[in-house]
Amino acid sequence: MPKVTVDGQEIEVPNGATVLQACELAGKEIPRFCYHERLSIAGNCRMCLVEVKPGPPKPQASCALPATDGQEIRTDTDMVKTAREGVMEFLLINHPLDCPICDQGGECDLQDQSMMYGRGATRYEENKRAVTEKYMGPLIKTIMTRCIHCTRCVRFSEEIAGVDEIGAIYRGEDMQITTYLEQAASHELSANVIDLCPVGALTSRPYAFEARPWELKKTWSIDVSDAVGANIRLDSRGREVMRALPRINDAVNEEWLSDKGRYQVDGLSRRRLDKVYIRKDGKLVPAEWNEAFAAIAAANPKGSIAAVAGDLVDCETMFAAKALLGALGSDHLEGRQTGLDYDCSNLAAVNFNSTFEGIENADAILIVGSQVRWEAALVNVRLRKAAKRGAKIFVVGPQWDTTYPATFLGEDAAVLHDLPQAITEAFSKAERPAVIVGGGGLAKGALHPALAFAEQFNLVREGWNGFNVLHMAASRMGGLMLGYAQKGGIGNIAKAKPNVLISLGADELDYGAFADSLKVYIGHHGDAGAHAADIILPGASYAEKDGTYVNTEGRVQFAEKAVFAPGDAREDWTILRAMADALDVSVGFDSFAELQSAMIAAVPALGEEGLADFGQLPNADASIRASGAISYPIADFYMTNVVARASATMQRCSSELLHHDDLKEAAE
Amino acid sequence: MSFLGKIFTWWNGATIGTSLFTMRRGEKVGTDAQGNTYYRSRNKRDMTTAGSYIGAERRWVIYEGANDASRVPPEWHGWLHGSFDDVPESYLPPAKIWETEYVPNATGTADAYRPQGALERGGKRVKAVGDYEAWTPE
Ligand code: SF4
Ligand code: FES
Repeated sequence: MPKVTVDGQEIEVPNGATVLQACELAGKEIPRFCYHERLSIAGNCRMCLVEVKPGPPKPQASCALPATDGQEIRTDTDMVKTAREGVMEFLLINHPLDCPICDQGGECDLQDQSMMYGRGATRYEENKRAVTEKYMGPLIKTIMTRCIHCTRCVRFSEEIAGVDEIGAIYRGEDMQITTYLEQAASHELSANVIDLCPVGALTSRPYAFEARPWELKKTWSIDVSDAVGANIRLDSRGREVMRALPRINDAVNEEWLSDKGRYQVDGLSRRRLDKVYIRKDGKLVPAEWNEAFAAIAAANPKGSIAAVAGDLVDCETMFAAKALLGALGSDHLEGRQTGLDYDCSNLAAVNFNSTFEGIENADAILIVGSQVRWEAALVNVRLRKAAKRGAKIFVVGPQWDTTYPATFLGEDAAVLHDLPQAITEAFSKAERPAVIVGGGGLAKGALHPALAFAEQFNLVREGWNGFNVLHMAASRMGGLMLGYAQKGGIGNIAKAKPNVLISLGADELDYGAFADSLKVYIGHHGDAGAHAADIILPGASYAEKDGTYVNTEGRVQFAEKAVFAPGDAREDWTILRAMADALDVSVGFDSFAELQSAMIAAVPALGEEGLADFGQLPNADASIRASGAISYPIADFYMTNVVARASATMQRCSSELLHHDDLKEAAE
Repeated sequence: MSFLGKIFTWWNGATIGTSLFTMRRGEKVGTDAQGNTYYRSRNKRDMTTAGSYIGAERRWVIYEGANDASRVPPEWHGWLHGSFDDVPESYLPPAKIWETEYVPNATGTADAYRPQGALERGGKRVKAVGDYEAWTPE
């Protein structure tokens, strides 16, 4: 552990730290443009100059200089001050003065740092360089004249996303950043370069000229577009969510967010359910709340009612529905809409036990039926890190474009019972072996064979649990903890023929199986569920209610309400509470706080933010055998939930990036 | 208007003093569409008296009805303030058909503009639905 002196203050820094990190540890701020904690070091902006002794008598780029014992670092001398002013002046030689029309204004590193470290006045008389516009797809807007050549975007695509999409052409002052052949950037994390770009060269296309950062209300929320539970910040103005940005959480999403989580928010103001509807003579007509409740009461729900949870609902809503069903004497609860029926008797067996942070350290990984890039783009980032550290990765299932070297073992799930030698070799040598079972694998009965695999290769050992299930729905783990899983799955509920079916935003469900039930849809978007429903009660989306979500690791996280629901829509739990009154039963809570404490009393793990403890893995049932060709459940990455399907941005991404319709002109 | 009426409704038209002054010194130059009458001093001597220290002619208006300065239309406003030498009819082009009638400022009167939702208009406004697109079954 080297000891260095920063501005006269002696500190000890970890091995391998750079001078810049040492200064940060000492509480000194070092201006920088190209350095980023999660990217490799480039050292090309020179903004981080400091004075270091011993060494040549000139300022040194601190981000690229390792801290060594006995260094004397100064960040407050005249030399450093003039050096920073000089670098800033060089950067501004070619940077346009268009802050008033730039979307980065107010959250721009260049603005802030020129205020703090730049000269007070300009000395320029020459013309500025101009760069031709580039096309980077429907999400990223480019104004390349503003680029300061920090290459963060290039490094992100290469290192984190793992696709060589963005690069630099020409050199020196003429250097230009572009996507290759000006194709649209099309991977699932492409929009993160917008956050990374320290200036306004890469900005958000759907959000262009919409708002200024200082007029937005910021709310901490949780992303529901997949089961990763990325931490996000919703920026809203009035009752409209303008944008979603990632929050930093090293355990979950690090600093990234998938494009879907980021850009589906414009769907929150389209196709909204804002009135009560009742089906009369085969047609849905607007109605009053009382009428709707009376119609439900008339259908005789006592003892014959079922609830199906959709993919986006929070735990409180699910618990409120469970309490209502309990009061009516029924326990027909299910969340796995597509008919999956895996064994949920022990939640440890359906959890991502390695944790996202842990899976980075795995050295042999078997993926069974999961197209991780689409099902959990941020987990794929972790897998790529593991691969870069030398992990061997095997996939059972149809080929997909991994961003790391992986061996595909064919589509047949039965391969789990007849492992190729490559796997047995890799896993018997591995120190931290892991298996990941995805939705495609669960559908083919791969859960118990995977548990058997875990026993065979000793996946659970001191300080390591390598057994993982990767879900796709934000509500899944929470639903399983609250008992939204039947033996026999959704088919079992259909067989019970309930008088009333309460659908909590379930849009993936096959409503044909419930032809005789009164279908009550409580949700926020008009989609398949609303079309099939007999009664529609307008509810709140994830941005419009407080709620608890559990991600696929079993991590309990709270989201806050950013805006109000439109029209007559109510927060879901209040609808269920009012319904209880109309049906003359008591659910035992009158406020959100009471609901939450009742839920926590029933499932204590939901009361504590962080990883829930599900205990030991169960023993494998060797009689269950996996068989059949695996297929992946997601057909279109940008269209997986109701919000995304309603979003104009996601529709454009889907048609342009996946179906390659030529929308370039329309998007300009 | 009766003599007593003049005394007690001083806010309409000229006061007695102004009427006397106008009779003695004023020369009528014209009336506008609303019936307000415009005067200037008959005597050149008045040019040097109070109110015309720059040597300009003294000009004034006697309102037909309420003494509200915003009732003077723009063309006569210009004349009153000495921007034009002569009365408007003599040099302004005839009014175009698309020109609207001049309306005095209604602020503070019963005719004042009330936005939708103002209490004076019943306090009702239409629902704000413009910021989202609602779903309909069709
Ligand atoms: S586009 Fe932005 S992130 Fe990329 S090199 Fe230029 S300034 Fe850096
Ligand atoms: S931050 Fe050190 S050179 Fe850019």
